[in-house]
Amino acid sequence: MHHIEVTINGVLRRAEVPPETTLLSALRDSWGLTGSKLGCDVGDCGACTVLVDGLSVNACLLLAVQADGREVVTIEGLSGFEYLHPLQAAFERLSSYQCGFCAPGMIISAKALLDENPAPTELEIREALAGNLCRCTGYTKVVDAITEVCRDHANAVGVEESA
Amino acid sequence: MRSFEYITPASLDAALEVSTRNAPHVKLLAGGTDLLVELKHTANGPKVLVDLGRVPELKGIEETSAGLRIGAMVTHTEIMESRLIAQHAPAMIAAAVTIGAVQTRNMGTIGGNLVTCVPSLDSGPVLVALDALVTVAGAKGKRQMPITEFFVGPRKTALSPDEILVDILIPAVMLGRPASFRKFGLRKGQALALVNAAASVAVEDGRIADTRIALGAVSPTVIRALQAEAIVTGKNVGDTAALREAAEMAVTEARPIDDFRASAAYRRELIAVGTFRVLEEALAGATAG
Ligand SMILES: Cc1cc2nc3c(=O)[nH]c(=O)nc-3n(C[C@H](O)[C@H](O)[C@H](O)COP(=O)(O)OP(=O)(O)OC[C@H]3O[C@@H](n4cnc5c(N)ncnc54)[C@H](O)[C@@H]3O)c2cc1C
Ligand code: FES
Ligand code: FES
Repeated sequence: MHHIEVTINGVLRRAEVPPETTLLSALRDSWGLTGSKLGCDVGDCGACTVLVDGLSVNACLLLAVQADGREVVTIEGLSGFEYLHPLQAAFERLSSYQCGFCAPGMIISAKALLDENPAPTELEIREALAGNLCRCTGYTKVVDAITEVCRDHANAVGVEESA
Repeated sequence: MRSFEYITPASLDAALEVSTRNAPHVKLLAGGTDLLVELKHTANGPKVLVDLGRVPELKGIEETSAGLRIGAMVTHTEIMESRLIAQHAPAMIAAAVTIGAVQTRNMGTIGGNLVTCVPSLDSGPVLVALDALVTVAGAKGKRQMPITEFFVGPRKTALSPDEILVDILIPAVMLGRPASFRKFGLRKGQALALVNAAASVAVEDGRIADTRIALGAVSPTVIRALQAEAIVTGKNVGDTAALREAAEMAVTEARPIDDFRASAAYRRELIAVGTFRVLEEALAGATAG
């Protein structure tokens, strides 16, 4: 067993895990954070996407021991009890998901994109989401939701600048 | 996944020591995007897993008098963001952006890509076109070899089981040489190459003084299309007919197979189109500046 300490959504968490445990299993089974999903288990679908030190990765292909000492952000880290992250709110408003299985990974990938590039083109959005597969809704409404968040953000910044 | 002992050495010597001591029951872990998939599907995994993530000698991109050195643990994302690579070997970026998706590129390393050595590996052709050298380290010391000798066959390299790939060197004479890369897949996003191709050219006084053409996914490992190169070298820059002739020649030099992704006949079409386009693009780069 390995003792690991990982900062998850700003909170330092500890666990004892066998070395073959993936970060995804540790998140779901050791820490009860079931927002990140197990889809394909081989890096194809992106349902398990989380941020590690700010970069999006497939938590099914990272060992929990590799995350020792690092900072992880999962879908649970984006919202509180009282509010949703703007991406979550836009996904909900535009019905950008049906079953919702892909949504946590999609939203984390979208956050990774917007953290780097707050005004992406449609092509940049689609490229940023190439590793996130959706089997029911399709991608148009996902792109629409992200575009709307960027527009709202740009308007808000514009208002601040002109004030 | 079968259980294993997990070790994180903090130096190349320590990594070599644990892997030699535990050979052959040892596996090296880089980004894990190939290895973890493999370990999840095999009944007998390694007894010891050596994580190379904390070995400083395998990291970083730097310019030396010998050329541009790229550590084996450099990720595809780091390649895409490197100013040195953008300046000296931008075709490497054109190849890196086509690998998997953002998540794959954030985790996956160039070293892992080369060692896995599938015939379609996307970092391969540009490195062959730029005449790259690789350095490997073993218990008896380091050795350096041309990348074409490193690639032996499908999933087979010149590494012996107790060796570690340390870095890749683009020789100084190749820095800034116009080069290009093209990949053809079934989709744009997250698809393995049906065919990939790269070319580099040296132009002197409007004449093509040197040409290198590399093709992937069409033979057991990345190949150079030597006869196609010979057609182009010596010709004038605007000689489109020579490029067409070279493209047809490249088709005869490859041995594409039929599989569930594409037929050999379709791959032959792609080889011709791909060879023509990489030559055209490399030459456009040579005459642009
Ligand atoms: C969804 C998905 C999409 C992909 N798409 C592409 C694609 O489009 N194009 C492409 O070319 N590849 C693709 N790949 C394959 C893979 O991502 C790349 O080959 C990647 O670069 C592998 O690097 P890694 O660091 O993850 O290697 P790992 O999985 O960590 O290691 C791979 C192998 O190399 C060995 N190894 C690693 N580093 C060293 C070293 N320094 N010395 C000696 N041995 C070493 C390991 O022991 C292992 O056997 C894809 C993979 C996934 C999961
Ligand atoms: S579950 Fe990790 S990519 Fe599909
Ligand atoms: S909403 Fe069901 S997979 Fe995307």
